[in-house]
Amino acid sequence: MKRLLCYGIVALGLVEPALAEQTITLGASVQETGALANTGRYYRDGYEFAVQRINDRGGVKVGGEHYRLALKIFDNQSDVNLSVRQYTQLLTQDKVNFLLGPFASDYALADSSVAEKYEVPMIEGGGASDQIFSRGYKYIFGTLPVASRYFESTVEVLTKLDPAPKTVALVYADDAFDVAVAKGTRERLQNGGFKIAQDERYSSNTSDFSSLISQTKASAPDVVLVAGHETEALNFIRQSKSLDFSPKLYAFTVGVPTADFRHALGADANYAFGMTSWLPSAALKDDYFSNAEIFAGDYRKQFGYDPDYHAASAVADVETFAKAIEAAGTLDPKKVRDAIAQVDFESLYGRIQFSAAGQINLPQTVVQVQNDSLVPIYGHKGFINKPRYPMPAWDKRQ
Amino acid sequence: MALLLQVLANGILLGGLYALMALGLALVWGVLNIVNLAHGAFIMLGAYASYYLFTLLHLDPFAALPLCMLALFLFGYLLQRHVLNLIVRAPMFNTLLVTFGLDVVLTYLAQIVFSADFRVVNPGYAGANFALAGVTLPLVRALAFAVALVLTFALWLLLAHTRLGRAVRACAHNLVAARLYGVEPRTVYALTFGLGAALAGAAGDLYGVVSQFNPYIGDALTAKSFAISIIGGLENPLGVVVGGLFLGILESLTSLYVGPTYTDVASFGVLVLVLIVRPKGLLGRAT
Repeated sequence: MKRLLCYGIVALGLVEPALAEQTITLGASVQETGALANTGRYYRDGYEFAVQRINDRGGVKVGGEHYRLALKIFDNQSDVNLSVRQYTQLLTQDKVNFLLGPFASDYALADSSVAEKYEVPMIEGGGASDQIFSRGYKYIFGTLPVASRYFESTVEVLTKLDPAPKTVALVYADDAFDVAVAKGTRERLQNGGFKIAQDERYSSNTSDFSSLISQTKASAPDVVLVAGHETEALNFIRQSKSLDFSPKLYAFTVGVPTADFRHALGADANYAFGMTSWLPSAALKDDYFSNAEIFAGDYRKQFGYDPDYHAASAVADVETFAKAIEAAGTLDPKKVRDAIAQVDFESLYGRIQFSAAGQINLPQTVVQVQNDSLVPIYGHKGFINKPRYPMPAWDKRQ
Repeated sequence: MALLLQVLANGILLGGLYALMALGLALVWGVLNIVNLAHGAFIMLGAYASYYLFTLLHLDPFAALPLCMLALFLFGYLLQRHVLNLIVRAPMFNTLLVTFGLDVVLTYLAQIVFSADFRVVNPGYAGANFALAGVTLPLVRALAFAVALVLTFALWLLLAHTRLGRAVRACAHNLVAARLYGVEPRTVYALTFGLGAALAGAAGDLYGVVSQFNPYIGDALTAKSFAISIIGGLENPLGVVVGGLFLGILESLTSLYVGPTYTDVASFGVLVLVLIVRPKGLLGRAT
């Protein structure tokens, strides 16, 4: 046993210097297991895919020398407290160079404090809540659109529909992200002259919406806007059907763009509106993956499922580090931080340029499920396709 | 008024689902004094069994109900016979540890085997409903409510009026006397635990028709079943129905009058109250 241990130590000694040679390690803690594993995988796979591709293209050049990117990922088991400990470990014990973010606002909110404390930049593509960026932190950057503006484009659509909807019910989960979405949406609706028929907060991970739906049905709004998690959106639609509730339009912050969601609901997914900050279009050029369409194909080939905006956002995070480190010409966290604040480039995800608070500005494209497939409806340039509106009653559908 | 009636109806139907979920946990707890922390994971397994029977064999979830129950019964029986019987007379802390470990193992095995993707069982009638006196009733929930009542009644009959049922109750009341009368506790325990698992299988079978599920739904279901068992009391299966209905109606009214974000506060708040005021449950003898 002792001898084995000696061999082990010798072997480690031999491997260590080889690994330490010219690598930049990015550390992250993501949800590989637990309730959020379904979305967490986009970040794990997105980070891996981007690191692999950047290395294939010669890695990162720092002051004339070539560095390879390496990735150290922990599984936080969908536990916020564990993720905070893991980020602390990444910086204090594993001594990674920079941090990539977790999925979901609650996590990013807690984990960014670790980055701030140790003054190491974190770029995260999984947390959109305004709260993350409103604390004056200098070391956190985010590549999701601002939460309070998630429904901005949807509300614009509402003002352009015929017959014009007048009353809106706002239903949202009680976590950092959804509360921020609701706050922004409420203001937008009031400014747009809509009457808010109902404004209800429900607890995250609710699986029974029957009473909430009955209440909403009783107040008979034209439109229902739901800010919640994918599983909740799914239950909301199914239970709306079983309680025979169909407003003229309903829209969801998440779920609608993912293939899983439409697959689970089948024909019941039709007419649901949603939003996405990213569609795999060839018009989105990228230095490493040529364009978003090719990226989506390659990603599917490697991982066996389609990427959505979470994955694209994750890839953009890694690319941002590559660009910023090259621009800084050093691995010094403070200088790299300043370089990140200055980046401005086109990526497969969109234009990456951070506001003073550290978040990018990306418009949401409104999408709708029509005949079982996802159709883009409205972008920053106006209508792309005709929305199906008003939604027919459940028993009037084919 | 119409809204209040509708919300009450929602609560009653939700209560039926709750009762179905908690029945197995209460049985095992009452007889074996094991708080099965893996109970929710059993429900999750039942949901996957129903999902695969439906998607691969096109078997209707209501037709698949006996199959799911049988599968979970065998699983539960073997588990008790070969694992849990080893610790059944150890302090309660040990059984908690073992069933907690079981819960973790089942949950993560489920993620490896079934992936973390969420699933639903979506037969053509999943969204069907009918109106009764101006109240919209979802068909599946109404049927699930009926299933819960039938299973509770069957369990009550079994416990009260059969030889096996008497043996089960005897083991719970006085193990030494039961053995003197020729009851083999190993078998009775395994049968009871198998029965508890079968009831979880029934709940899981219908769960996917009502809600989405994934490998991680178990913990929340265990917690809810736990609360229902305490509120209803462990002495009588009918208590579980009372506990389930009570909680279902309470949550629905809380959602209507206080706000849907406070439903868990209400249900676990009541749990604490019941523990203080009537520790043997609403139907249990007052102490």
